Amino acid sequence: MSEQTLTINGVSIDHRPGETILEAARRLDIDIPTLCHDDRIEPVAACRICLVEVEGSRLMQPSCHSKTQPDMVITTESQRVSRNRQFSLSLHMADTVSDRTIAEDANPNRLFELADIHGTAGLWPHVDSPRQGRPMDVNRFIHFREDRCIGCALCTRYCDEIEGVTAITLAHRGALTTISTADELSLTDTTCELCGGCIAVCPTGAMTEKAALAYGKPEKELEKIRTTCNFCGVGCQLDLNVDRDANRIVKVTPPPPGTTVNDGNLCVKGRFANDFIHHKDRLTEPLVRDADGVLRPTSWDEALDRVVEGLQGVVTRHGPHSLGFVSSSRCTGEENYLFQKMSRAAFGTHNVHQCAAT
Amino acid sequence: MTNSIPEIRDTDFMLVIGSNTSEAHPIIAMEMKQAVRRGAKLAVADPRAIWMSSIADWHLQIEAGSDVWLLNALAHVIIAEGLEDKEWIAENTEGFAAVKETVASYTPEKAEEVTGVPADMIREVARAYATTRKAGIYYTLGITEHTTGTDNVYALSNLVLMTGHLGGPSMGMNPLRGQNNVQGANDSGATPVFYPGYQWAKDEEVRAKFSAAWGVEQPDVPGLNLNEMMKKVGTQIKGMYLMGEDIVMSEPNVGRLEKALNDIEFMVVQDIFLNESCRYADVVLPAAAFAEKDGVFTNTDRRVQRVRKAIEPPGQARADWEIILDVMDRSGYENPPYEGIADIYAEMASLAPKFAGISHERIEDDGLQWPVHTMDAPSTIYLHKGGVLRGKGLFQAVEYRAPFEQADPEYPLVLSTGRTLYHYNAATQTRRVDGLTEKQPEAFIEIHPRTARVLSVDDGAMVDVVTRRGRVRCRAMVSRQVKRNTIWMPFHFAEARANLLTTDAGDAVTGTGEYKVCAARIEPVDDPDVRNVFPGSYQTPVELTAKQ
Ligand code: SF4
Ligand code: SF4
Repeated sequence: MSEQTLTINGVSIDHRPGETILEAARRLDIDIPTLCHDDRIEPVAACRICLVEVEGSRLMQPSCHSKTQPDMVITTESQRVSRNRQFSLSLHMADTVSDRTIAEDANPNRLFELADIHGTAGLWPHVDSPRQGRPMDVNRFIHFREDRCIGCALCTRYCDEIEGVTAITLAHRGALTTISTADELSLTDTTCELCGGCIAVCPTGAMTEKAALAYGKPEKELEKIRTTCNFCGVGCQLDLNVDRDANRIVKVTPPPPGTTVNDGNLCVKGRFANDFIHHKDRLTEPLVRDADGVLRPTSWDEALDRVVEGLQGVVTRHGPHSLGFVSSSRCTGEENYLFQKMSRAAFGTHNVHQCAAT
Repeated sequence: MTNSIPEIRDTDFMLVIGSNTSEAHPIIAMEMKQAVRRGAKLAVADPRAIWMSSIADWHLQIEAGSDVWLLNALAHVIIAEGLEDKEWIAENTEGFAAVKETVASYTPEKAEEVTGVPADMIREVARAYATTRKAGIYYTLGITEHTTGTDNVYALSNLVLMTGHLGGPSMGMNPLRGQNNVQGANDSGATPVFYPGYQWAKDEEVRAKFSAAWGVEQPDVPGLNLNEMMKKVGTQIKGMYLMGEDIVMSEPNVGRLEKALNDIEFMVVQDIFLNESCRYADVVLPAAAFAEKDGVFTNTDRRVQRVRKAIEPPGQARADWEIILDVMDRSGYENPPYEGIADIYAEMASLAPKFAGISHERIEDDGLQWPVHTMDAPSTIYLHKGGVLRGKGLFQAVEYRAPFEQADPEYPLVLSTGRTLYHYNAATQTRRVDGLTEKQPEAFIEIHPRTARVLSVDDGAMVDVVTRRGRVRCRAMVSRQVKRNTIWMPFHFAEARANLLTTDAGDAVTGTGEYKVCAARIEPVDDPDVRNVFPGSYQTPVELTAKQ
């Protein structure tokens, strides 16, 4: 074991080859702000907000990208560092919507959150950057608002490196740099798998959920309820964003990367396939079939009596093993427990099986 | 899964067999992509050229249903070249000699004839698997949905046992469960052979334990599994209670089942939508969706995680567990006074040692992976650490058996079914999401370009898919994803139900239907107007009409 060390803000820490300054600082619980960085994605050092001072180096170093060296002496908080942060924040803010209410009308805005903590170098005149949007993109889930894009390319890098489909790319140059698809096609006509990862990584809400945008309540006014996805067996954790007053799920967001089994990722089903919950076809009252063969709405009281009568009638005529109980792997563990208990304890048969075949 | 999802990214070799991972388990596929990017080797065994095969080092494009041949040939190579882990086998396993003898005749050359996979590729994959320490096997329904499903699983586990790829990180034998809580429903005892926590129902002591705990003498008549139950609908089975399950959409050979359902005396369906099975129901009970109730789901890596109520259910709909409690109550069974869902979990945990250390309180922030035997024990991240659980790992020699139905002159093609990224099972949920229906509006059948040409079928034309059991009309999608003799269709669509076509021949042990292979033919449809007959838009399929 090498006992080589380095120093961050005067505290000594062991040197781990290959580690970035950002990672080493985190081990000391030192927070270095970042904007264009995500642990799942290769660092590109584009936003310049994570610059720190390294003794002996004339230029400040991007901590997300620079690897630590033995005996390095690093300073993450100084006048120079904070002047740079404020300067960079002002620069980015001049490139996007500067009215905070508008900037946070849907998704949270990391730029303003960082400005709250670190301050800015003042509000600069808006940079005229006629980025192109994709107003013709008819996909129903993801909307790109070019006026909020700061060109950090987290979305395209996520799409490329994590989702692995490269549906969106950086297009044009300089101030015109924008996010586009091949031939400006609608996302649904590209390799896009509608995972929504580009929305989750976007720091300014330039990538946003179409439906939630139309709904009109900003994310910060919604209540997040952590739950488990009800589709496949991966068991992704997700946050239902609920408008309490309206008893409505407005959208689904992934928990932060590194905290759950899905590492901040979701697929199209977990993220977007939730309309069914509020669908008009939902059953809202018990139904019983009358002698005329028609199902008619009724009270719980009557329905439950009919269930018990019906099942017990079959038992009386043919015995308990003429009943079959089929449960669903879509129901909870407790529900499946009670269901087999009902079959075995209340009706006396082992004829109980979940439908896991498909 | 013996191992965990987050371990996948650190693996060095993956054999993905019978799993269209990028569509069925997208987030696991992401982990696999990451492993590949790190330099891990990937072998994909699948009859279709699925997306994963496009990033694979080897695509073993096997004939549907020839899995045992392939797997035994891999074992053959490993043994012939002396790559098995002799020490590990001696210490941890039983029955290796029999497997060695059986696979001796499964040479790669003969395997090539049956499976269509080049002998050299079989050799390469066998070597890579056997000589890589962090090597994992991942499989799903492509392995189990056969009459030989259990054999396939044994053949896979033989490979794991002979190489000792068990009991360490990023390896093991990893079934990827298709539905959110397949694992959890099994764990809870929703299976005729087990009480909660995999305690055998045939074991007298176990029954005595539950008789005492539940205060009712437990039946000693063995129960029917789903496949048997469905075959006995109308004969032995006269009454049914379906909770959240649409058997009319999801069971194989459903035409026969639908006839039988008319002979049933009483049926309850409890679901969030009027599903197809409701046409036969006497009572329909409105249930809450997952976002409207509390509880736990257990995912494919044995992780017990919380489900939380975020909103109120619509109208009078109620959580399934509340409904069951009422039915039990009215039928005269007295449950202990549960104060909430956590108490129900606690009752189960108290009766099942594997979950004894799990409670709602402990999983408030993070899930726990069972087994967790005590309240202070940690998650079990991978199984079989320090030796195979329960003593010795048992080798099971298996011989190849042909699928129940094979192509013949009358039905010259092999039909396989599966799911797509954008829909989910019977699609009662996903087809009610507009954006998804747009991406994939209607049923289709994949046909190889050459086969299509021989049959004079154009891309996008309507065709009939015919098997011995039924006929379904859908759109032809000419595609090189399938082999020439194979056709493939998704099973999500009510107006073109793939399960009218599939056979209900079940696996001898588990009863799982052979959804993956049956013999079929394609008949072009002449009518030029037919394109408008199936607009593919979603229509509520069930009316409140009389039993048929
Ligand atoms: S939704 Fe996913 S696949 Fe589509 S552009 Fe965004 S990141 Fe890429
Ligand atoms: S989000 Fe997608 S991958 Fe994750 S559990 Fe849900 S369906 Fe599965």
